[in-house]
Amino acid sequence: MLLTFKGRPVLPGNLTGVAVVSHGGFNIYASFFESIHGPSDEAICADSGNGDLFGRDLADKVICVPSTTGSTSGGAVWQRLIEMGNAPRAMLFSKAIDSLAAGGLIVADLWAGRRIVVVDRLGDAFLETVVHGDAITIGEDGGVVIRRTRA
Amino acid sequence: MAPDAAPAPNIRLTPEEEAVLAGSEGPVPQKVMRTVVRYGEALGAERLVDISGDGHLVIAYAIPGIAPSLEMLEELVAAGLRTKFPFTLDPRPPLDYDNWALNGWQVEVLDGMYRDQARYEDLLLRLGLRDAEAYTCRPFLEEVGNTPKRGDVLAWSESACVVYANSVLGARTNRNGAIMDLLCNIAGKVPLSSLLEDGARRATWCIDVRTAELPLPQLLGAAIGRRVLADVPLVTGLERFLSAGLDAPTRDYLNEMGTACATAGAVGLFHVEGITPEAVAQGMDVLAADHRTYVIDEVVLADLATSYPVLWRDPEARPEKCYLGCPHISLEQIEWWARSIKAALRERAQAHIKVPTTLCAAPQTLARLGADGSALRDLEAAGVRLSAGCPMQLFDNDLAAGSAIITNSTKLRTYTNARFFPDRRIVEILVGGEI
Repeated sequence: MLLTFKGRPVLPGNLTGVAVVSHGGFNIYASFFESIHGPSDEAICADSGNGDLFGRDLADKVICVPSTTGSTSGGAVWQRLIEMGNAPRAMLFSKAIDSLAAGGLIVADLWAGRRIVVVDRLGDAFLETVVHGDAITIGEDGGVVIRRTRA
Repeated sequence: MAPDAAPAPNIRLTPEEEAVLAGSEGPVPQKVMRTVVRYGEALGAERLVDISGDGHLVIAYAIPGIAPSLEMLEELVAAGLRTKFPFTLDPRPPLDYDNWALNGWQVEVLDGMYRDQARYEDLLLRLGLRDAEAYTCRPFLEEVGNTPKRGDVLAWSESACVVYANSVLGARTNRNGAIMDLLCNIAGKVPLSSLLEDGARRATWCIDVRTAELPLPQLLGAAIGRRVLADVPLVTGLERFLSAGLDAPTRDYLNEMGTACATAGAVGLFHVEGITPEAVAQGMDVLAADHRTYVIDEVVLADLATSYPVLWRDPEARPEKCYLGCPHISLEQIEWWARSIKAALRERAQAHIKVPTTLCAAPQTLARLGADGSALRDLEAAGVRLSAGCPMQLFDNDLAAGSAIITNSTKLRTYTNARFFPDRRIVEILVGGEI
C-alpha cells in the first residue's frame, strides 16, 4: 500500500528510511541528551514523558512529529549527533516547522556539513497515518510516500 | 543539494544585507548571514529586522552537543565578529563542587566534561558576553540588569527567559535555539516571524483556572504547556490571587509558571488576564475569536502530579539530595526558603536539615543576600548550600542516574531523574529526612 503526502522541503533531499512517530511534541533535548555524550551507533530516546518514543532508537530513522518542544539547548544537539554518527536521517513535521527545530537543523546543515532532510507542513492526516516501522520515501520536492507492506 | 549551495534567497533583504550575503565583509560574516537568512526562509519571514536590545543566550556550558564547538567560536572570533549588543548567558556549570555534595567520581567526571570551560568563557567574552559574572537564567532581575523594554526586538534563547521576556515584559523574541541565538545577535538581525508579529501574539487558547486556591505555578505551567504546546494561551482566573502590579510574588509566580509552560510544551508567550502587559492593554481582545478553551481545576493538577513516573533506582529510598532554584530564584524566594526551613527546624527542635540541599540563584542575587545577612545566616546554619550554578548541567547525564534526588522544578524533573514535590512538602522532607 502506498500513501502519498506533500509538504514543504525546508532542507530538501531524496532518501528512504524507516519511520518512528511521536504524536505529541518532540522534546529535542530530553530525547537526545543521553545520545550526545559519546560515540554510538544508537540514539535511544531518553524522554520519559514521550510514551511514543521513550526507549526507541532514533539513529538513522525518519522521525515524524507535529513540532518540537522543550529547552532551547536542543538547538545544538543536531550538530553533535551528526559528528557522533547517530543523527536521524530525516525530520518530518505535520505542522509548520518551529523556530527551535529550524534553527538547530539549519545550523547543523551549514556549519556541520551534513544534511538531515527536513520537510514540514505535511498536515495532520500524515501524522494520523504514519506508524512506527513504515518505509518512507522522501523526494526533493517535499513529497513523502509511506510504503506499508503489512496489514 | 549540497549543504553549501546558495540559491537566491526567498526573503526580502536590504542592500546592506545582500552585500554581506554576497561576501562584502568576508567569508565568515557571509556564512553567518546565510544561516540567518535560511532561518528566516524556514520560518516564512518576509524580511529580517534589526535587534534592538541586549541578548540572553543559553550556551553557557562547554559540552559538545549543548554548546557550539570551540572551533566554531574561534572561527567567529578570528574574523573579528561580536554581537551588536552585549549578552548575558545561562548559569555556569556547577563547578563550585563544595556546594553540591559530590563524590570523588562525580568530581572527576565533571572535571573531564568541563575541561574546556575556561577557554570557552574567554571566547564568549570576546564575542560580546557582558561581563564575567553575567551568568543566570533570571537576567531580568533588577540586580542583574538585563531587563528588556516593552516592544524590544530580541533574539533570545533559554526557553524560560524567552517566555518571560515576551509575556511579562512585553518584548518580542522567538524561541531561538542554541547557536542560532549567537549567530542572530552577531548579525544584529532576526527574521520577522511568529512572536515578533502582532498576529501571532493573540491567544488561541483560553485557560480557565477554576481552582479554589492559587495553584502551584510549576504544576499549572506544566498542565498548560502539555495542552497548548507552542500555541499562545490567555490564562484567566489568576487575577483572583495575583496582584496586577507585577510585585515580587507575581513576578516570581509568572516566572515559574512560564518556565514550566516552556518545558512541558513550547510556549513562548502567554497572557494573564488583568496582569501581563498585552492582556492589560487589549483586554479580552487579546483572545482570538476562534480560540479553544481548557478548564484547569484541582483534579487536572492532581492527575498531572500523579502521572510523573518515579525514576529512582529504589522508589522507596530516602532522598539523597535536594536541588532548588531551577530556574534561579529571587531574593524574596530565598528569604521564603530561609524562613520556612528555620520555622520547621524550630518546631522539631532540630538544628540542621537531613537532606543535603543546594539552592541556586544569580551571582548578583547571592551578593545581595550576603549584604543583607540574616537569610544567609539562617540558611547556612540549617545546612543549605548556595550556588550560582545550574543543577540541570550536573544531572542531565549519567552522574546521578537513578539517584534519589528531589526538586520543586518541573524543568529539572523533565530532564533528570529528580522527583517533583511542592515547596511546602519539600520543607517537610528536608527537615524530616524522608518522604
